[in-house]
Amino acid sequence: MEKSGQIEFLNNIRTALGHPPDLQRDMDLFHYGITDQERAILEKIQQRTGEERQQLLGQLIEMAMPINLNVIPLPDTASATTAIVDLVRQKKPEWGDKKRVVTWRHPLIDRLNLGQALAESGVPVSVAELDDGAFQQSSLNDQRADLRAQIVGAYIGVTSADFCMADTATLVLRARSGQARSVSLVPSIHVAVIKLEQIVADLKELFAILKWDPEAQKEGLTNCMTFISGPSKTADIEATMVHGAHGPKEVYIYVV
Amino acid sequence: MTDITPENYVAEARKGIKDQVLQKALADLQLRFGLGTAIAYQSLPEGPDLRLKAHEIRMNAIENLDVILQKLSDTIQQNGGHVFFAKDGQAAIDYCLAIARKHNVKTVVKGKSMVTEEIGLNRALMSAGIDVAETDLGEFIVQLAGEHPSHIIAPAVHKTRNEIGKLFSEKLDIPFITDPPQLTQAARKALRAKFLAADMGTSGCNLACAETGHIATVSNEGNIRMSTTLPKVHVAFMGMERVAARLDDIEILIRLLCRAAAAQKMATYVSYIGGPRYSDQVDGPDEFHLVILDNGRSRILADKEFREMLYCIRCAACLNVCPVYGKIGGHSYGFAYSGPVGAVVTPLLVGINRAKDLCLGETLCGACQDACPVNIDIPRMLLALRAKLAEGDPAWNVRPANKTEAAVYRTWSWIIRNRTAYDFILRLGAIGQKILPQKDGMIHWLPPPMNGWTGSRDIRPLAAQSFIKRWRKGI
Repeated sequence: MEKSGQIEFLNNIRTALGHPPDLQRDMDLFHYGITDQERAILEKIQQRTGEERQQLLGQLIEMAMPINLNVIPLPDTASATTAIVDLVRQKKPEWGDKKRVVTWRHPLIDRLNLGQALAESGVPVSVAELDDGAFQQSSLNDQRADLRAQIVGAYIGVTSADFCMADTATLVLRARSGQARSVSLVPSIHVAVIKLEQIVADLKELFAILKWDPEAQKEGLTNCMTFISGPSKTADIEATMVHGAHGPKEVYIYVV
Repeated sequence: MTDITPENYVAEARKGIKDQVLQKALADLQLRFGLGTAIAYQSLPEGPDLRLKAHEIRMNAIENLDVILQKLSDTIQQNGGHVFFAKDGQAAIDYCLAIARKHNVKTVVKGKSMVTEEIGLNRALMSAGIDVAETDLGEFIVQLAGEHPSHIIAPAVHKTRNEIGKLFSEKLDIPFITDPPQLTQAARKALRAKFLAADMGTSGCNLACAETGHIATVSNEGNIRMSTTLPKVHVAFMGMERVAARLDDIEILIRLLCRAAAAQKMATYVSYIGGPRYSDQVDGPDEFHLVILDNGRSRILADKEFREMLYCIRCAACLNVCPVYGKIGGHSYGFAYSGPVGAVVTPLLVGINRAKDLCLGETLCGACQDACPVNIDIPRMLLALRAKLAEGDPAWNVRPANKTEAAVYRTWSWIIRNRTAYDFILRLGAIGQKILPQKDGMIHWLPPPMNGWTGSRDIRPLAAQSFIKRWRKGI
């Protein structure tokens, strides 16, 4: 839309900058290769030992504390299931009185078998995923509306993450099929289950992976990459810190 | 903000200084954030000099803005988004209204954005019969009260919990409460209903990344994620300068932005949004539009003296250290942008003569530059604006602001180049000053046209004998 408007707009900028109209200047801006520093970062990540990973976990726990983010290391997925069942038992829903849990479709989350584990206590667990067969627009819309209602009705959302940055205690989530953005946003409590290997040191490591790791490159940032560092917060009323402005009031990261 | 009132600077500043509540709020804010940000810069692994590197990144982006915006437009469209280049606020508003009409939009949830304040989007949408809800808690409070934000990132800093409690009890129909967690919960509940019902979400853009085709939005509350995830259409607005070429530039700028804005290592939420929902995804908007706004910026770009102002990433760090902002508050500046950034940007956007008091009111102390995450030399540009006001500049349609002042300086310039006249004037002054009221060895009133000087400060009297005379006598 408005192609001519764009050309005029950009020509105007070019004139303001005093650049000749036909000069090609984008070569070094966008065409470049991996730097030695980035290569070293990628190697460092690849060669990270178990002990170094534990150190990163320690750093993550330490950085999470001041932002009221709960990071809990667990031996295996079974104990993560137990931890989530406990959490469901302890916590009351914020809106209404019906307990409901919504989760991502994700290999690690599937292994938790939450549906089965929570069946006993009668808490429904839904997976926010579209059916493969739902290609027809009308059924797709119905399904989406239905899933949205389930997410809005849930008080705990369970996701995994792509990465977790230790330096800032930040979860990194990329949007995919079956991995809805609102599961980490709309429910009052957000639980993320991640593997120890997913912890990276900082933003530099993350961006080096996103830019140069062949596996991560394929997907890029996706249409929505979100960083989450702790529960939602505000200090807009007399500079008093309050958790749960719009997003989750509590965030738990279980590291298995 | 559609009411542009920089002309009221002096009157509003007077009001602000007398307002005890505001004085306390501003002092607290500056102590917390001003100091916090300085400490946060010190704790950077690269040290505070990272600001200089960031300055270079911003300079590169601005010097190649045409190429970078072209790339951004291409990548966003490859990702399935729409891009609209708006030459002014009206074009941006018309585009947004057209989208709203196309989708039969009844309600809009707004993520905090300064650029939509600049163009007055709220009023335009409301005139079209669309319900608009600001969703940042501070902005929500200010909107309910029918006021304008007084700080870029703490919009309701001027309001007390009692005022907010009263406001909520009237407008949200709830019992009177004053406890900040309870008030926040009340707003959470009211806005959750808005988020779920809204047909369109709007947001600003803290920084766009041209090579990947994403806009980065930063918030602590989660309102921007809500506004950009739940409604079926997302329209994002950005000033044309808010773009970086590459992801590694974003890495440095985001880290500095979070430190500068709220003394955080990382804000609670940073989202990189690049296009609409994929067909197999459950949520996200079906349409994504990015509106890139000029609205007077290319004129700033064309002037090398002020081009540096476009490096600004609107973090508000300069507000948090400015001794003038700290006393008069944000409303005095009469436009979306307050504090030192407002004192330069507002005159350039709305007219240098019209907003002259903003740049004349600052102290040139340089605290803003020290606090700036991209090390913008704001004092230099304040002086450049003052020079234009003194001498006039047809290129910016500036008339000399004060004819008397200009005449005084012209005469003075003649006098100091003329020995006899200079000595005569000094002698005359030394005698004449005896009749002026003095206190503690200082003159505290001068006759017009010099009374502007003594209106707010005293002046030292002339020495009984000039230095030259004493020198000749061997001191």
